[in-house]
Amino acid sequence: MDRMSERREGGGAGLDALFAEYRSAFPDVDGSANFMPGLWQKIEARRVETTSIFRHMVRACVMAAIALTLLIIVLLPRVRPEPIYSASTYVEVLDEAHSNDAADLLAGGEVQ
Amino acid sequence: MLVDFELIERARSGDDGAFNQVVQAYRKRILGTIARLIGRPEDVEDVGQEVFLRLYYSLEQLRTPEVFEPWLYRLTVNAAYDYLRRQRRRHESRMSDLSEQQVMMADAAAGGKQNEEEQRRNKVREQVQALLDNVSEEDRILLTLKEVEGLSLKELEKIYRVNENALKVRLFRARQRVLKAYEAAEEE
Repeated sequence: MDRMSERREGGGAGLDALFAEYRSAFPDVDGSANFMPGLWQKIEARRVETTSIFRHMVRACVMAAIALTLLIIVLLPRVRPEPIYSASTYVEVLDEAHSNDAADLLAGGEVQ
Repeated sequence: MLVDFELIERARSGDDGAFNQVVQAYRKRILGTIARLIGRPEDVEDVGQEVFLRLYYSLEQLRTPEVFEPWLYRLTVNAAYDYLRRQRRRHESRMSDLSEQQVMMADAAAGGKQNEEEQRRNKVREQVQALLDNVSEEDRILLTLKEVEGLSLKELEKIYRVNENALKVRLFRARQRVLKAYEAAEEE
């Protein structure tokens, strides 16, 4: 990788000269009078675009929140669970749950 | 540095006047670099505006004003790279639509309007562009920054955030490929 020797011999020097000529074929330029106004127009356009995207996102979020709220309002009464408390007393509930116990005993079992 | 750290700090904190001054200070240098990187004078301003647009919206991410110049060069390299890639795609599709004769006629018509000095410059530009077409867009930019812009390896290291040895290897390979194409063209 001896670049120096490569440059000294063969086309290396010619290529370097060509690059130098290319450098002078493109001198530093100041740009036209429209450069700065054009730049600020682009900056403003990007700012508006970003704001508009942000606005769209906010609007979409608000719409989604409203839709979800309405859905909850509609569905909530339908999925309301049965109350876990009972109006009956403990004895009445037990009686209802084991109403056949006495009949079973009378049918097959002996009472000791 | 073409501007002081305080001005960059002010631009970073959202002072549009300070940003304007920064652009004015670097405009000439950046436009010149872009011209040599992309090789198309007619598109230089567009790419230059893109560089400063990206600068405007990324300036607040700049850690310290000391790294401003490598940062600006990195934005320049990226914008030039995006442009060259777009251009290559566009060029391929455009050339496939035109016959060889049409291309030659268009070249001749464009050439007739220019003076001798401009024609010589154009010849050099075309020659270098053709040579640089032998390497990828990334290598083309790297080689131009080193060989044409004259940036040192240390400066390139800061721009690319890659160690010097990796850059040396990449530059060597790219240069060898361009040199081979140059020698082949000289023999013709």
